Amino acid sequence: MTDAGKFPNDWLEIQRKYWESWTDLSRKATGAAAPTANPWEAGLDHWWQAVSPAAPELARDFMAKIMDQGKAFFALADGYTKNLGAMPGAGLGTGAGDGWAALSRTLEDMQKAFTGGLQGGDEASRRLMAFWELPYDNWQRLVSSMSLVPGDALRNMPHKHLNQALSAPGLGYTREEQAQYQDLMRRGIEYQQALQEYLQFFSGLGTKAVGRMRDFMEAQEKPVESARALYDSWVGCCEQVYAEEVKTAEYARISGRLINAQMAVKQRMAIMVDEALGAMNMPTRSELRTLQDRLQETRREYKSLRHEVEALKRQLGNGGPRPALVRTTATPPAPTPAAAKKAPAARKVTPKPAPSK
Amino acid sequence: MFTIDIRPDKLSEELLDYSRKLGQGMENLMNAGNIDTGVTPRDAVYREDKLVLYRYQTPAGVTPKPVPLLIVYALVNRPYMTDIQENRSTIKGLLATGQDVYLIDWGYPDQADRALTLDDYINGYIDRCVEHIREAHGIGQINILGICQGGAFSLCYSSLHPDKVKNLVTMVTPVDFKTPDNLLSAWVQNVDIDLAVDTMGNIPGELLNWTFLSLKPFSLTGQKYVNMVDVLGDPEQVKNFLRMEKWIFDSPDQAGETFRQFIKDFYQRNGFIEGGVEIGGQEVALKNVTCPILNIYALQDHLVPPDASRALKGRTGSKDYTELAFPGGHIGIYVSGKAQKEVTPAIGNWLNERS
Repeated sequence: MTDAGKFPNDWLEIQRKYWESWTDLSRKATGAAAPTANPWEAGLDHWWQAVSPAAPELARDFMAKIMDQGKAFFALADGYTKNLGAMPGAGLGTGAGDGWAALSRTLEDMQKAFTGGLQGGDEASRRLMAFWELPYDNWQRLVSSMSLVPGDALRNMPHKHLNQALSAPGLGYTREEQAQYQDLMRRGIEYQQALQEYLQFFSGLGTKAVGRMRDFMEAQEKPVESARALYDSWVGCCEQVYAEEVKTAEYARISGRLINAQMAVKQRMAIMVDEALGAMNMPTRSELRTLQDRLQETRREYKSLRHEVEALKRQLGNGGPRPALVRTTATPPAPTPAAAKKAPAARKVTPKPAPSK
Repeated sequence: MFTIDIRPDKLSEELLDYSRKLGQGMENLMNAGNIDTGVTPRDAVYREDKLVLYRYQTPAGVTPKPVPLLIVYALVNRPYMTDIQENRSTIKGLLATGQDVYLIDWGYPDQADRALTLDDYINGYIDRCVEHIREAHGIGQINILGICQGGAFSLCYSSLHPDKVKNLVTMVTPVDFKTPDNLLSAWVQNVDIDLAVDTMGNIPGELLNWTFLSLKPFSLTGQKYVNMVDVLGDPEQVKNFLRMEKWIFDSPDQAGETFRQFIKDFYQRNGFIEGGVEIGGQEVALKNVTCPILNIYALQDHLVPPDASRALKGRTGSKDYTELAFPGGHIGIYVSGKAQKEVTPAIGNWLNERS
């Protein structure tokens, strides 16, 4: 194995000791809570920081995803075990009733975390809340991939009184420029509000998912015997609640608004960039698009005309040489006599004008 | 009344086991090397712009049938899904049934392709590939297999050029884009497509990825990676997983004008059902599709719900319509072991009976 091989062993050793001591504490029924920190996660981070530079890019990205999601799994187990450890007489056989009580408490913590009522910011609950930020996290990554600024750049932008200020008309020589900046700010505010509405939608779902988990667990007939089964149930409940809510017209409106608002910001920025490029006597995107449209229209007409010429040649019994099988440009081949009999007369493809911009 | 019976020692062992697998799996990940996709030998027989038409080599001992089969894949994601690995290859299975298989690889459109329209794709690229195959084989009609959006394209093509299509197979193809369970359709109704295309030019593949992952965000971006730890110990399974992972995120950008037209005509206006779709100045009507049709859909498809595909029944002009329901998902219909045994041979047999 590579040098990285040492790190898993160190890390496993740390974790093994942690869980041995935790188990020991439970068995002694001291009533003491398990250690407050989650060394699993800390150990995981420590190890990963050491080995990740040596990993190939694809493996690195992939492993990072496993690590992130492994933390959510660990968080659920951690929250549960802490509550189990805090049960009166913890560790004495750990009856099924204790298990249920510990899970109930874990769910309560999560519910409090979702509603903002959890004091002290329990790490496990925060991690599970972050699980509900996955849709937002995915959105943030998307926005970042399409932009030079971070995906959450506008998340906390202050906008109080801004609307009023932005409604004031620009004056004087730079009036048009002022209007553009005002418009950009207005679009930025609309995006921020759309994003807040999107986040608000998900914050409500977290609470519902906790309730669903409680109902789901109560309806089970077989005992839950592993943290993974608990985690899978949690994911299943989240997915169920999510699926119910995102099929509503309300969600379609919210997500549509979010995408439209993001596009509106980008559109205004693109116009301003184009103006700056124009001022520097450089080609703008708008000009390039006009050229692309015209070029494509010309290509379409060329291909259509060529097709017609080939058909006319065939009709006149004056077929040209067969084109090569591998071509680098579009050249409609002349069909064989057999195919020509079955093929219809060349149809005229009327170039469709590009939609107006 | 349920019980939770997670004992501290069992829990400790479980988490330690998870960590052990994670640590040991790292070696397999680091040794995974390049992820190869596409296993069946093939030759590029026609190129145009970024498009490449491939012809797959017939395996030894198999005599190809006289009517070749053209696979029209979606513009979304990459067509190597159909030939992703040795033991999970739709193309390999089709070749084994005697099909002479061609496949269109659309490539990765960039801003220079922004102005391509549905007319350019369907009456242009697809038609020229069909012409090439007709000429190469000296025949008048070929078989077409359309996949997902490529199935919708194939229906459009078969409607506009019915004389060139002998048999049509549609796989997980949306026909009714507004069935109640179609989440993608519900979400896109409020999106200003003109604004998006006017702003972005081409639609980034990342935006499509986000949309697809948003269908099941906790399973697809969370749980999947936790469960992955279970197979990290097996280098072959790691490679298989990484291959799928690569395919999922290997999303070409969408040529802007084509995206605009496809979303507006089909997702927003439900063009196959409501009519009114015009491509290259001609109306697309399912009634014009008169060739035999095999319509295959997946019962657990969350991208193209079964009802969206089943809507094809009774709407075409074909007198020979067959349906095949596969008990799996949108991807499983190509890569699952069950699909290799059931779906691919069924396509081959159905075509052989009609070619």
